[in-house]
Amino acid sequence: MGETLYTIGTDQQQAWMKKNCFPPRGYGYSEPGTYSLDATEVAAYNVAKSFYQVYPEVWNIDYIAKETGIKPADIKDRLKRMYDEHLIMFVMNPNVGVYGWGLYYWVVKLKDGTDPKVKAEFAKWYQNKDDICTGYLAEGDFDFFNGNHMRVLDNLLADVIQPWKDRPEVEYVHLCPIRADVRESLVNQWDVPEDRYRKFIFGEEQKKKFLKVQNKIDKKDFAIIEALNSTKSIADMFDFDMLEKLSGLDGKQMKKDIVMCVDERKFMLPMIYINYRALGISMHMYLVRMFQNVPSYRKAEIVDEFSLMPEFVDILQFGDSFYDCMLTVYTEVNDVEAIRRMLEGYAEIEEVKVANSKRQFRRWVARLDDDNGYWEECVMTDDFLQNRLESGSVKCRFSTDSEEVQ
Amino acid sequence: MIVKHPREYVVDKLQYALNPKTIAVVGASRYSTKVGYKVVDGLLTWGGYKGKIYPVNPRADKVAGFTAYKTVKDIPDEIDLAFLAVPAHIVKSVLEDCVEKKVKIVVIATSAFKEIGRGTLQDELTQYCRDHELPLIGPNLVGMGSPYLNFNCGFIPYLPIKGPVAMISQSGANLLAALGTSQKDHFGMSFFVGLGNKADVDFCEFISYAGRDENSKCLAIYIEGLDSPDAFIEACRSVDKPIVTIKVGGSKIGEKAAFAHTASENKGTNDAFYDDIFEKAGAIRATTWQEFLDISMALGMQPAPKGDNIVMITNGGGSGLLSCDHFERRGGMPMHELAEISPNLAGRIRAYMPMFGSPLNPVDISGTASPVQYKGAFTQVMRDPNVHGILGSICPTAVTDVPAVTDLVIDIYETYKHLGKPFIMECQGGEECQEAIMKLRDHGIPAYPTAEQAVNAMVALYKYGQIKNKK
Repeated sequence: MGETLYTIGTDQQQAWMKKNCFPPRGYGYSEPGTYSLDATEVAAYNVAKSFYQVYPEVWNIDYIAKETGIKPADIKDRLKRMYDEHLIMFVMNPNVGVYGWGLYYWVVKLKDGTDPKVKAEFAKWYQNKDDICTGYLAEGDFDFFNGNHMRVLDNLLADVIQPWKDRPEVEYVHLCPIRADVRESLVNQWDVPEDRYRKFIFGEEQKKKFLKVQNKIDKKDFAIIEALNSTKSIADMFDFDMLEKLSGLDGKQMKKDIVMCVDERKFMLPMIYINYRALGISMHMYLVRMFQNVPSYRKAEIVDEFSLMPEFVDILQFGDSFYDCMLTVYTEVNDVEAIRRMLEGYAEIEEVKVANSKRQFRRWVARLDDDNGYWEECVMTDDFLQNRLESGSVKCRFSTDSEEVQ
Repeated sequence: MIVKHPREYVVDKLQYALNPKTIAVVGASRYSTKVGYKVVDGLLTWGGYKGKIYPVNPRADKVAGFTAYKTVKDIPDEIDLAFLAVPAHIVKSVLEDCVEKKVKIVVIATSAFKEIGRGTLQDELTQYCRDHELPLIGPNLVGMGSPYLNFNCGFIPYLPIKGPVAMISQSGANLLAALGTSQKDHFGMSFFVGLGNKADVDFCEFISYAGRDENSKCLAIYIEGLDSPDAFIEACRSVDKPIVTIKVGGSKIGEKAAFAHTASENKGTNDAFYDDIFEKAGAIRATTWQEFLDISMALGMQPAPKGDNIVMITNGGGSGLLSCDHFERRGGMPMHELAEISPNLAGRIRAYMPMFGSPLNPVDISGTASPVQYKGAFTQVMRDPNVHGILGSICPTAVTDVPAVTDLVIDIYETYKHLGKPFIMECQGGEECQEAIMKLRDHGIPAYPTAEQAVNAMVALYKYGQIKNKK
């Protein structure tokens, strides 16, 4: 194993992993609770997350000004406006392996001819089901692509999948457990190879078109987002003096801690999310199935090749699934058919299912459904110590059965 | 932080914590299962809050149907009370907004301050509030309220029934226990407040406030640690109402637990240290939670006896024996024989008991006692000028008409209340006794299910009489 591939977890865990030929997935990382999301080590993120709506000064305005050439006052105005119009949201992806969860996506296909009202009913259920931390409504070869962080697979099956799985309208639901989280919302995640972790990826061609096909984010706005998502170190993202002023916590310590969390140990990744629904654009989704006789190293290599392509907004690789990966692009800024042909040009790829999404339910537990009045309501769930197979058992989550659509 | 004396500006502004016309709920959530929502929900659920609610949430347009504001400063109204249910790292900024907005008082439910080692931050925030004369209650508390105003502000699932006891507690859990007890056991309160870490507003200021509150007849104070013992003593001595305390965190492990809970520092103190403080303060110290509630109720309902001539009327010799032993055990107040109290009283009571009854003290009117016999015995002791207090006991037998005895006790109490003699009841037995206890309490008579509880209550009343005499 390469020394640089798995650098999360404690030194003891690293030492333990080196005794194995292959670090067993799900066991090489930290135990649950090592860094709770409200831990002192995470303070910089939490302070910025709590205040950026009102105080754009939490961002490192000097750095952005230097990177973009935009005046500080203008930067602040633009950040404020983009937030107020719900075009952007500051979010964070916790490395679920470190936190002890499995990350299970699943794709749902409703039968052809299903009444749109029924599909809307499913969408409402998924939107309100707090255990679904990320999800997409789509049109095409499949209808939904949702994901859960859960510790117990049975809990996912019993409490999240089972309530609707046997409905007559459901053609299929396929589980897509994540093997590698390579890129999400344009930012490379921890499973990207080499030193490309936390890089903001958006091709020049895509960028040019992006600025043409929508009129809510202009060139300067985009430059600000790009600067914030492209800091070499997470320390460059924030103004720690401002974080200290607002919170009363020690700015220097917050800086040290967040660098440890994000840059060094890579167990969380804060970034600016672009709300494509609010921009009026859509996401084209490619659900890729490779032949089963393709060796797993080759499957991984192919996904690594995808990670070099700037078209992709999301790149998720699956394991133990019918499918091998999910790739997404912004529809309006790409030749989506050409991308499909490119994918089908791989001899290892057996099938590509395609759908288009105009709505994302949540981005890493933060609700995006402005229309329901829940913009940025962050609902972190955990099935720790729970047995959701038992009827009437205690369920530690925020939504209640009465609030979920039956 | 230490206060030298109860601060007048703080005491004055406490009215805004318990009777605000406008409330900003900072951290009000749209999710019905989150704490920030429960605060708004609590204000609405109990139906009585007539003021205006302003949720503050920078991500929301509306919370529970109310327009939400990004900051306190954005609210287009004067704010009496800002209730903070936000993470600790947001508190400083909100306090600054509150000062700018000229909010009258803030309550901070948020935990994660001194109790987890952030003492410096807590002190800095406290000093900031003091510099701007913005009283801060908390942090690390559950809330406060008053049944007289149907006001329940916090994440509190109960509203107590109306009554005489002002409940001032450092512990949220124990406060909630008392509030739950209030409804279940008809333990009436005037107001309640959790003080948590009591960074700024201290016991002494709530004591002064309760002293002025006309609904509060007795102060019940749960203490994990006193930062300002001198101010506590000063406040207690200035209040002409009975004060009951319970002090926890005195054991070796308890000392550490009290710090982890409400950042209470007990190093270098011991029980004798607190005994001395309470003695100087003129406060009555309870040692168990049950005793704390029992004697608070009695002191809230009944006057102190003018002397120690307590007569017990019972239809059960056993309950009488438990009682007289416990009087002696508590020290300072043994029961006297009837003949010592009033030479002719025994003879007069004899008319109301069978020949096998006992006219000593406790007076056993026997298990066959009818409501008529109870009435006669109670009336005799009530009317005798040498009797200073009455302890009644109902021990149901097959012939005891508990509801009828209960009603006549209430009748006698109402008739002779003007004599200023404390009247306490004990009713030991089944469901009918529980009902009797509740009914008696509803009529202002402290009533208990065991003899020892009733004796404790009478002893506390007697102690309060002595404290008053010393003042």
